[in-house]
Amino acid sequence: MSIDIEGPTTGSPVVGPDPSREEPRRGGADAKLIIGGLLGMGVTAYLMWTIFLSFGIYPGLFLDNKLIIGVIAIVVGVGGAATLFRFLNMFVEGLPGKASQKAMPYAYLLPGFGLISLVLLYPAVQTVVFSFADADSERWVGFANYTDIFGRQEFRTTIVNNLLWLLIVPAVVVSIGIVVAVLADKLSKRGESVSKSLMFMPMAISFVGASAIWGLVYNYDNPGQDQTGILNALWTTLGGEPQTWLSIDTAKLNSILLMVIVIWLQVGFAMILLSSAIKGVPEDTLEAARIDGASEWQIFWRVVIPQIKGTTITVFITVLIMVMKIFDIVYVLTDGRSNTNVIANLFFFELFKRQNAGTASAIVVVLLVAIIPVLIFQVRHFRREEANS
Amino acid sequence: MTTGKWRRIAVMGVGATLALGTTGCLSSSDGGGSGGVASGDSGDSKVTILGAFGGGEKDAFEASLAAFEEESGISIEYTEDTDFTTTVVARVGAGDAPDIALFPQPGGLLDLSDDMTPLEDVIDLGAIEETLIPGFLESATKDGTVYGAPMRMAVKSIVWYPKSFEDTGFSTEPATYQELISESKDILSDGTTPWCMGWESDQATGWVGTDWLEEMVLRTAGPDVYDQWVSHEIPFNDPQIAEALDAFGEIAKSDLVLGGDKGVLNTNFADAMTPAFGADPKCYLHRQGNFATGFYPEDVQADLDGSVGTFYFPPYEGGYDGSPVLGGGDLAATFNGEDEDTQKVMEFLTSDAFGAEWAQSGGWLSPHATFNASNYADETTRAIAQSAADADVFRFDGSDLMPAEVGSGSFWKEMVKWEGGQSTQDTLDAIEASWPTS
Repeated sequence: MSIDIEGPTTGSPVVGPDPSREEPRRGGADAKLIIGGLLGMGVTAYLMWTIFLSFGIYPGLFLDNKLIIGVIAIVVGVGGAATLFRFLNMFVEGLPGKASQKAMPYAYLLPGFGLISLVLLYPAVQTVVFSFADADSERWVGFANYTDIFGRQEFRTTIVNNLLWLLIVPAVVVSIGIVVAVLADKLSKRGESVSKSLMFMPMAISFVGASAIWGLVYNYDNPGQDQTGILNALWTTLGGEPQTWLSIDTAKLNSILLMVIVIWLQVGFAMILLSSAIKGVPEDTLEAARIDGASEWQIFWRVVIPQIKGTTITVFITVLIMVMKIFDIVYVLTDGRSNTNVIANLFFFELFKRQNAGTASAIVVVLLVAIIPVLIFQVRHFRREEANS
Repeated sequence: MTTGKWRRIAVMGVGATLALGTTGCLSSSDGGGSGGVASGDSGDSKVTILGAFGGGEKDAFEASLAAFEEESGISIEYTEDTDFTTTVVARVGAGDAPDIALFPQPGGLLDLSDDMTPLEDVIDLGAIEETLIPGFLESATKDGTVYGAPMRMAVKSIVWYPKSFEDTGFSTEPATYQELISESKDILSDGTTPWCMGWESDQATGWVGTDWLEEMVLRTAGPDVYDQWVSHEIPFNDPQIAEALDAFGEIAKSDLVLGGDKGVLNTNFADAMTPAFGADPKCYLHRQGNFATGFYPEDVQADLDGSVGTFYFPPYEGGYDGSPVLGGGDLAATFNGEDEDTQKVMEFLTSDAFGAEWAQSGGWLSPHATFNASNYADETTRAIAQSAADADVFRFDGSDLMPAEVGSGSFWKEMVKWEGGQSTQDTLDAIEASWPTS
């Protein structure tokens, strides 16, 4: 091993590698390792590529047996990836001392980055690009898709609906969540766990399942027939005519009825997080307030709420982002009929039913642009929270 | 084991994979268009068939082939694929086409016609033309050449009524649409809403309405206009179509339907006729395809002949002078028509001799007017088959033949808006505007 003269004098601030690992080589480049690493990576990648291609082109080689192909695919995939990393390691170790140390973390991070770029960044960029192209993404059309969608009454209604969802759902979820958490906190230990479990249970139901359940609640049967929908059964018992609840867009009633489902699903989630935050409020602050003669109401608003603000915002933003992407419930129950459409469902219709990639991309780009400020706010909020703790 | 041997094996392996990889790339790059050679070799007494149906239908299909296989010594291998439409294109493209494919829609068949054997080279077209219900072969014709022939039929032009309707004394055989309307009004003034109708079908809500409009176009304007309309040779909002839609509106947008427009849009198509059964029927008449029986209550299904009756959805007075039938069917086409065994199987599949066993197990109608009706399991099916056999022209469900943007998109959506109160002209204009330009 060559002695590095610079190393000890500058006293590298970098935290030394794991002591169990071999001390990285210092000094000049090792051509053998570099070339070996590069060559190894190339050959491994090429072999993996060819073997995977041969699954599709020459299934006969593997006796047309899907099980055999599956096993080989796992072995080649996992083994190949491990081999690739080995050669990558070899290559980086061959680099001159300092470069080797600096490159090592990136060598292991880059594949992850690459994967994220491939499955997240690349499609996102591509979608933006496609939003300026025609239905088959073959010709440029400039801003035509955007002028088209913003010129459509349906799209404007959809935007209004999404805004309503954003305004109503997160706020209601958080409010109910706090109320339930506070009230449950006052119950006996047993009562608290039972009531919390009951509130939390809908969380376990998928959106589609919840839609099916609430579809029965809102069901409509013609007048004179047995009312199988709970809401209509109640309504007719009180003397009303059966109503087609999900078709009534006066005062956006149908959209609000859909929101009720999400609220029902999400309140449990909000309650659990907020409840633990409330329990985390130091008892002495409450004591101090009581001694100073504050009423319970004042304590709640002036002492508890400020101390659970962080959690409240986190819950609010999580629900907000989920609501922005809301799709399943609308798709299953109304499919956007009677002015209940939301952006995600409109996008789905444009892409998979009308097969218009241009307008569909434009619609999601609008959604993407709308979601970015929220994301930035959330990241900032998390940073602040971390800095505080 | 010595390292030398290992190394030799490794080198050979690498060489083989390299060779495979390179040749593979080449063959896949030009394998697309020029494929179409059937995988089944000629003269091996084996014929492969690819189709979309499975389960009980597959069993019934195989049962209908058993006797033929025994007699001819040909073994038939049927493969089901729920994603048939995609699979058949992929297999033909890869040069691995089945000997025979059973297409649920004529559009997919005609897309692959370049790789098919024209039917005239395979079977005696003249013979089946005489017994087939007119209209089937035309749907599988491209540039004057026929490529496919039907082996199963579905009929939509049926009006169902519960047996209790017969006791009311109203006619169960109205001769024209106008008669049907005036009778409907009588039933209404007699105290019962005449029509059961349900359009709700989750994401496909509206298809029942498109079927109705297609029936009406066939009746008011006739099959020629229908063909032009479906293929967009005339605009979707042509005045003749508006006339048909308005004629349909006499039922759908009136108090002749149970629950009015609200009831129509919020009742699932499968439940539409449920109120008609029982001691106190809420409605009587239900226009739906022969598959509707599958959605009737269990006790009705158990005794179909004793519970329901049917009549043919009548022609429109002053419209097309004839009795058209709307429906669907599975079309058989071959990619390996030179093979004698395949020819024999095609001949059997498309003849009126095929299907006796399937007919007995139910849910199947022969597209041949000459099919032995005693094979059908019940009177109801026999009556439906008879009404189709009496038809002088058959047309495929038009929304299946239109581009997907329209046929399973705007056509459904706009029909729903129409039923909800939108005007006929606005509805047709909106669908016309959504027709893809290229």
